[in-house]
Amino acid sequence: MRKLPVYILLDTSGSMYGEPIEAVKNGLQVLTSTLTSDPYALETAYLSVITFDSTAKQAVPLTEIAAFQPPQLKASGCTALGEALQLVAQCADQEVIKTTPEKKGDWKPLVFIMTDGEPTDDIRKGLEDFKSRKWGMVVACAAGAGANTNTLKQITENVVSLDTADSATIRQFFKWVSASVQANSVKVDEGKGEINSIGELPPPPPEVNIVI
Amino acid sequence: MNREQRLVARRNAADSRIKDFLDAFEEAADRLSIPCSERRRFLGWTIENLWNKHIEERMNRRLVIENEINNLGLRIPNGTVRKAYTASFALPADKVKDVAIDGLEETGLTLSQPAEGEYLISGTPQKHGDFTLTVSYSTVEGEPRSSFKLPVAFNPDPRSIWRDLRSRLHKDGVKPDWATEYIMVKEDAEGAPRKDVIAASIQGRSHAHEERPRDDYFAARHYEDSDWYVVAVADGAGSAPLSWKGSEIACDTIIEHCRENLDGNKVFEEAIAAFHADPNTELRSVLTAQVSNIIYKGAVKAHEAINAEAAAQGEKPRDYATTLMFAICKHFSFGWFIASFWVGDGAMCIYDEKGGSAKLLGTPDEGEFSGQTRFITMREIFHDKDLVAKRMRMTIVPDFTALFLMTDGVSDPLFETDNNLNDFNKWKEFYSLLKEGFPEDGIPGVNLTDDNPEAAGELLEWLKFWRPGNHDDRTMVVVK
Repeated sequence: MRKLPVYILLDTSGSMYGEPIEAVKNGLQVLTSTLTSDPYALETAYLSVITFDSTAKQAVPLTEIAAFQPPQLKASGCTALGEALQLVAQCADQEVIKTTPEKKGDWKPLVFIMTDGEPTDDIRKGLEDFKSRKWGMVVACAAGAGANTNTLKQITENVVSLDTADSATIRQFFKWVSASVQANSVKVDEGKGEINSIGELPPPPPEVNIVI
Repeated sequence: MNREQRLVARRNAADSRIKDFLDAFEEAADRLSIPCSERRRFLGWTIENLWNKHIEERMNRRLVIENEINNLGLRIPNGTVRKAYTASFALPADKVKDVAIDGLEETGLTLSQPAEGEYLISGTPQKHGDFTLTVSYSTVEGEPRSSFKLPVAFNPDPRSIWRDLRSRLHKDGVKPDWATEYIMVKEDAEGAPRKDVIAASIQGRSHAHEERPRDDYFAARHYEDSDWYVVAVADGAGSAPLSWKGSEIACDTIIEHCRENLDGNKVFEEAIAAFHADPNTELRSVLTAQVSNIIYKGAVKAHEAINAEAAAQGEKPRDYATTLMFAICKHFSFGWFIASFWVGDGAMCIYDEKGGSAKLLGTPDEGEFSGQTRFITMREIFHDKDLVAKRMRMTIVPDFTALFLMTDGVSDPLFETDNNLNDFNKWKEFYSLLKEGFPEDGIPGVNLTDDNPEAAGELLEWLKFWRPGNHDDRTMVVVK
C-alpha cells in the first residue's frame, strides 16, 4: 500500500519554552485525534516528527497514524534549522519507498516546518540536500514576530505566519495542518496524486496568514 | 527459682536498665547544665526531631523510587477497537509493590501480573478515544501510594468509519450506486458453449463516504443476429461535476453505434476472414479501414455526443470528462476477432490461461504523476493520427479465457504499475483472485462456470474488496 508520508519539523529551541511548546504538544494531540477519526488519513497517512534545537533529531520515525504517539518535547538551546532540513532529507531517503516498474512507491511526502526564530546554523548545506529531494507540499510556518519569513521563503514558496505564538493560534495552525493532511489523503485515495499548490489546501483560518 | 521469683527478677533487671538509662540521661544533662525544669521538654523535643527526620528519610526514599519510575517514561502502544490488545511493562519488584491501574475498567481491559515485577494489560478495547490510565503502587511502608499517568489511545477500525451514504442521484433514481448485468449466450447449434458476459459496477467507498455519485459506468451487449459482442467501460473524472453522466453517454453511444455498424455488416466480416486467410499488407489496410470505421468513429461519436449534451445543457464538455475503453469481438471458424479502443487509465486485456498470454489492448494513459489521465472529452486525443492508431487494437486469437475491461478502481490496487499489467503472471494471480475471492475479508470468489447468472451479483460483492487507500468506484466487465 502506498503511504502518504507527513514530516513535521518543530523548532524546540529555548525561545519556545513555556506556552509555545505546550501549545505545540497540544497541537500534535489535535493532529493525531483528528487524523485517527478520518478513514482516508487513518489508512494512508504516516507521521514523523523531527525536532530541532541545538541539534536536530527524529523524535518519532515515520509511523502509521494508528500507532503514532506524540513525543515528549522540551524547549532549550539554539535553532539548528539547517541540520533539520538535512535530517528530513536523510529520513525520507530511508523511509519513503520509491516507485519501481513493479511497485508503485509512496506518495511524495508533505512537510510542515514550524519555527519561531532565525536559524542559528548555516542552512545552505541543509537547504541543498532538502531541495534535491522530491516533496509534495512543503509549508513553512513562522510562529510569532521573531521568525524571518524571507529565510523560510528560501525553503518553500508556501510560507505562512502566525502573529503570535500563543496557544490559541498554534492550535489553529495544527488544525489547519490536520485538514491539509486529510485533504491530501482524500486526493491520493482517488488516485489523483498529491496536492501541489497551497491553493488546493483547505483555506487557512484567520490566525494563519499566507505570506506572499 | 519458682515462677514468682523469676518474674520479680526480670522486673528488677528491667527497672535497673531504665534506672541506668535515666542515670546516663541525668549525668549528661548535668554535664551540659540543662536545668531540671527544662529536661522533660528537652526530651520531647529530641524525640520529635528524630521522628521528623525518620519521616523525611522515608519520604525521600519514596521520592527516589518515584523519580526512578517516572524516568522510565513508560508508554504502551495504541490499540484498535474490537481487536485483541496486549501491552506489558516492568517495574522493579524490590521497590514497587501492590500495583493497580485506575481507569482500566472503562476501556474493557484488565491487568495481570504474569511474573514478579512484570505487568500485562490485555483484553479487547470497546471504545475509541484517548484514555489516561493511572498506575498506582506502594513503595516504602508507611508512605502514601504513588502513581503515574499512562496515556493510551484506541483507534477505530478504519473500516468501521467509512460512511455508506446513498448519492443524491441514487435517491432521485437517476443513477443507481451500483449495477450488474449478466448476458447469457446459449450453446450454438452444435451444442458448443459460447462466451457469456459478466459485468458489475459499484460506487467507491470514498464516494459513498461523501454522498458522491458513482462516476463509473459500463454497457454490454450481445447481438443475437450478428453474434457480435460489444463491451464498454468508462470512468468519469472525480473532479468533473457531470462526469457520472459523461461516462453513461460515452458507453451508451458506443453500444448504439456498434449495433448500427455491425448488424449485417458482411463487408467487415469478409475483410476479417480475408485478412486471416492471407495476412498481407494490402488486406490489412482494407481491414484497418473497416475497423477504423467502427472503432475510431465510435470514439468520435462518443466525444461528439458529450459535446452535444453539454451544449444542450449549457455546460462545458470538460465537466463531463470521462475515460472510455470498449471492445467488439466475434467468434469465427478460425478463432476470435477482437478490436478495441482505449483512452484513459484502467486496464483492458485478453487473458489466455492455457496459452500463457495476457495481451493488454493498449497503454494506460498515465503521466509521471498519477491522476494525469486522458479523457474522451479532450479534443487533442483525436488530433494526432499516430496516437489515435495506438489507441486502437485489432487481433485474431484462436481462443481466450477471458476478456477483461476494468476501471482504475480495480486495476490500481491489484496491479499497481504498467509493468505488472504487461506481466502474464500478474494476470494469472488476478484471475485466481477473481475465482477465489478474499477469504481474509470474507469476500467469496466469482463462480465463472458457463451460464451462471449469479456471477454478476458475485462480481459486485467481489468488487468490494478492501485495499487501504483504494476506495474509488470499481467497474469490471468480463467476456468469458
